[in-house]
Amino acid sequence: MSVLEIRGLDAGYGDLQILTDVDMTVGEGEYVTIVGPNGAGKSTAMKSVLGLTTYMDGSIALNGEDIAGTDTNTVVSKGVSYVPQSDNLFSTMTVRENLLMGAYSLEEVPEDRLREVLDRFPILEERQMQRAGTMSGGQQQMIAMGCALMVDPDVLLLDEPSAGLAPDLVVDMFDKIDEINDAGTAILMVEQNAKEALRRCDRGYVLVNGENAYEGPGTELLNDQEVRERFLGG
Amino acid sequence: MAVADFLITLVTFIAIYSLFGIGLNLKFGFTGLIDFGHVAYFMVGAYVTVVLTLPADAATYGGIGGFDLPGLFAALGPLGSLFGWVLGVVGGMVAAALVSLAVGVPTLRLREDYLAITALGIATILNTVVKDEDWLFNGPYGISGIHKPLVDVFPLSLGSFTVNMAVFGLLSVAVFAYVAYWLVNRFREAGRTGRIAMAVSVGLVSLWYFVMPAIDGGTVELTKNVLWLFDPTAGPNGGLDYDRFVLILAVGFLAGGYHWVERTINSPYGRVLRAIREDEDVPQALGKETFQYKMQGLMFGSALAGAAGALWAVNIGFVSPDQFASTITFFAFTAVIIGGTANNKGVILGTTVFWAIRNGTRFIDVPSQYSIQLAAARLILIGAILIVILYYRPQGLLGEQDYDIDLPGSATGGSDDV
Amino acid sequence: MVDAGLLDAIVQGLITGSIIAGGALGLSLIYNIAEVPNFAHGDMITIGAYLALVFNNPAEIPFLPAFGSAPLPAAAIVGVVLAGALGAAYELTIFRKFRQKDADIITMVIVSLGLALVLRNVVLFLVGSKNIRYESASVSNTNFDFLVTGAGMTVRTTQRQAGDVVTTGLWGYPWWLLAGGLILATAVGYGVFRAYRREEGFDTVYLVPPKILGTAVAIATAIVLGALIQLAPQGTDPIVATRIGLSIKHLTIVGVVLAAMFALNVALKTTKFGRAMRATADNMDLAEVRGVDADRVQLLVWVIASMLAALAGVLTGWFATNLTPNMGFTLLLPIFAAVILGGISSPYGAVAGAMIIGVSMDVSVYLLPSHFATYRIAVAFLILIGVLMIKPEGLWGDV
Repeated sequence: MSVLEIRGLDAGYGDLQILTDVDMTVGEGEYVTIVGPNGAGKSTAMKSVLGLTTYMDGSIALNGEDIAGTDTNTVVSKGVSYVPQSDNLFSTMTVRENLLMGAYSLEEVPEDRLREVLDRFPILEERQMQRAGTMSGGQQQMIAMGCALMVDPDVLLLDEPSAGLAPDLVVDMFDKIDEINDAGTAILMVEQNAKEALRRCDRGYVLVNGENAYEGPGTELLNDQEVRERFLGG
Repeated sequence: MAVADFLITLVTFIAIYSLFGIGLNLKFGFTGLIDFGHVAYFMVGAYVTVVLTLPADAATYGGIGGFDLPGLFAALGPLGSLFGWVLGVVGGMVAAALVSLAVGVPTLRLREDYLAITALGIATILNTVVKDEDWLFNGPYGISGIHKPLVDVFPLSLGSFTVNMAVFGLLSVAVFAYVAYWLVNRFREAGRTGRIAMAVSVGLVSLWYFVMPAIDGGTVELTKNVLWLFDPTAGPNGGLDYDRFVLILAVGFLAGGYHWVERTINSPYGRVLRAIREDEDVPQALGKETFQYKMQGLMFGSALAGAAGALWAVNIGFVSPDQFASTITFFAFTAVIIGGTANNKGVILGTTVFWAIRNGTRFIDVPSQYSIQLAAARLILIGAILIVILYYRPQGLLGEQDYDIDLPGSATGGSDDV
Repeated sequence: MVDAGLLDAIVQGLITGSIIAGGALGLSLIYNIAEVPNFAHGDMITIGAYLALVFNNPAEIPFLPAFGSAPLPAAAIVGVVLAGALGAAYELTIFRKFRQKDADIITMVIVSLGLALVLRNVVLFLVGSKNIRYESASVSNTNFDFLVTGAGMTVRTTQRQAGDVVTTGLWGYPWWLLAGGLILATAVGYGVFRAYRREEGFDTVYLVPPKILGTAVAIATAIVLGALIQLAPQGTDPIVATRIGLSIKHLTIVGVVLAAMFALNVALKTTKFGRAMRATADNMDLAEVRGVDADRVQLLVWVIASMLAALAGVLTGWFATNLTPNMGFTLLLPIFAAVILGGISSPYGAVAGAMIIGVSMDVSVYLLPSHFATYRIAVAFLILIGVLMIKPEGLWGDV
């Protein structure tokens, strides 16, 4: 059974429809990427899983359970975790408090997972009591990702994790995502940096104008003539 | 008192408060400034006009006063004193604008809610100053015996009773005819709800104004109400009495203010103001000095409030600090929002509705021991209406008005990444 | 006779400040988390005061059967709890609906104005406008005279009992004791400050900021030392003398408000739900994404804020002796000034802002000729405007 299954999704914002009849699947432990031009609806598709958009039609199933139209804070407790592209941490709270908020939907603070996150991002352990808003851009991305990992999600939704990062940090970020995926978490990622994303992922979807355009294993898409010309700059 | 006299008083109040509201609408509805201190300019306009036009010997209190502008100009001829009074009003408006300039300098750069609070605070301070500094404007006792323009001319009589009745009666009927014509036009343009609302309200008003007096007082009462401009008891031959003149004056000021604001709003200048209301960053990025524009909007709106204040003083006959409490501003906000923010006709409608509720309930016969309860109930009703309107129809009854020059269609914003 | 001087004005100001702080605590919660500049807050204070009155002195309220009266503390608790329920009502019937419509801040302001009108006039409607008082034990005022003499400082306490001024206490501190005591207190405070402070250089977040803790400990030490070590009076011929008037009433008010401030801060900083509230204030959408039920948070915010407002109302009514339907609204401006001054985002900031406003109000009344006494509120405003011109985000921002 797939972790996340989107079928025939129509969604948008208010009266404005962005997505038409979108299909997407993420299997257990799979690493799936969504790429496409600006305005294609990639972020919208991701936000729809979390109930942050206006749901119009279709189905969204998480581990077989239909979650279309459910409240955001309820969806989060069912095994999906989300790292928004921007505005993705509580800048007035400390690093540690941010991580604790990551685990909010759980009954108790998972000390072991907190330990794991701090081990994975050592700089966060060092600066636990520092106000999150004063950390650097790369460090803030780490906090955001660490938060999302606190609930040990079945699937982790990442919205442009490399946005705004310096090139060497971008590689680091993708390495960290590989690590997380290797540890068993399924990944659904929206990325502007299509080449790198398709290179590392298992499967990819290309969205154009709010509809499915292409789909397939990452390397296939990467080598596909049409896809290369249209979206990867030849 | 005949229903006509009551209506005249009511309409005068509505006209004055509408002018006050149009000034507020310019600041709030069109420029987006939340001035919770708007009543301060009402007060400044009233006091300054009074002081400028007060006859020198009437300044019996120990304070600033008695510049007697009308007296000065009376020497120029019969309309000289009127000119002197108008000059006083202009002085009041200028004073109000200058005070708003002083207020705007520290506050206009603050974010909107801080602006609201500080404006309120400053208006409170000004009110306290006027109330407590006896040497300024006689403190809490206020100033009475103020100059009323052309008061000696009235009651105005054209000769005999019949002539008066004929002339003023004809004018009265003419006004009714024009109002009816205008109502019919609006009725044709209105949608279903508008038509129902108009039918009901016009019906009720007609009932109250024409039918009931006819039943109560027969043809005499009915005639008094139809020929409303003519007061048979004013002077030996009847005629136009001073209250009616004040009404005409107030309506005239309102019309003037209304047109002045309309022309401004529909000009390129007004477009900048509206753009500032939408999002200050946009005109600023285009090189407009938004602070100047906001300040000008503030001063213009305050000047209008000042003019309303001058009329208020003439209407009431005396001024005192208690007339200018901060709740007056909130009532004006209520009227503007009910009628339609950024819609000058809406301001007039909202003010009418507001005053109708306030005064209409005075007719309810209630033992005097419950008068506090009645007043409180009225305000509870108004507060509730405000919340309900903001929820179900935040643009007010009439919604925002149409402009001759529109802002570029507002895109639904948002980033490229959807 | 010793005159009450600047010190007494400052002490009075701290008490005024406490009253304002009671309101500011609640308002800062609503302003920060619910993002509503709540113009109804003053009238919520009034409602709280009158709710307690219903149970404490029902005879004063027309059309209520006189069902006996409860002592003020008990009535206050009942009133506060009822006010909390009302707060829930405001959120559920009004503010939640507007939040769901994504209403902007200006709409919220005017909605709160509408609510203010309704609340104030409901009180007026039900109770009328006459002055009413609580039924409570009267508290006597003690005057503390501090006389600085050649040998040290003498302290004399006097009270008015049965019409006469009676000296109830007389003791003193020689110079060496004064100096030693102050040095000791400062050292203890400083020590606590250093011990409590963590590494330098990072912006860290504390439960109680070290500077405040250090200062508070220093003051407490000085007072404790002064109370424990009382030696013989050092002569009654003063070089300089001043008097302050204090009563249990004053101390209770300050104590209750400080306790509320501390409790609120602990709740916000250490509990899971408190974190959720701060997270909602920081970024409501992200909080939802992290699993916070923002609606529940807002509900609790309104309940707590209404309870705090009611508490402030009871304290104000008790302090001022009389209750009037306008009592809350007159406090509204100083409360807003306090919250904006202290920076919206922290209970400490709100209380600090309130203390500054309170002290400046009473000190200015003291310093200016008596004719200017009615400008108390104006002073609060002038200070606010002055601060905003220099620092538009308030003095503290984030504490």
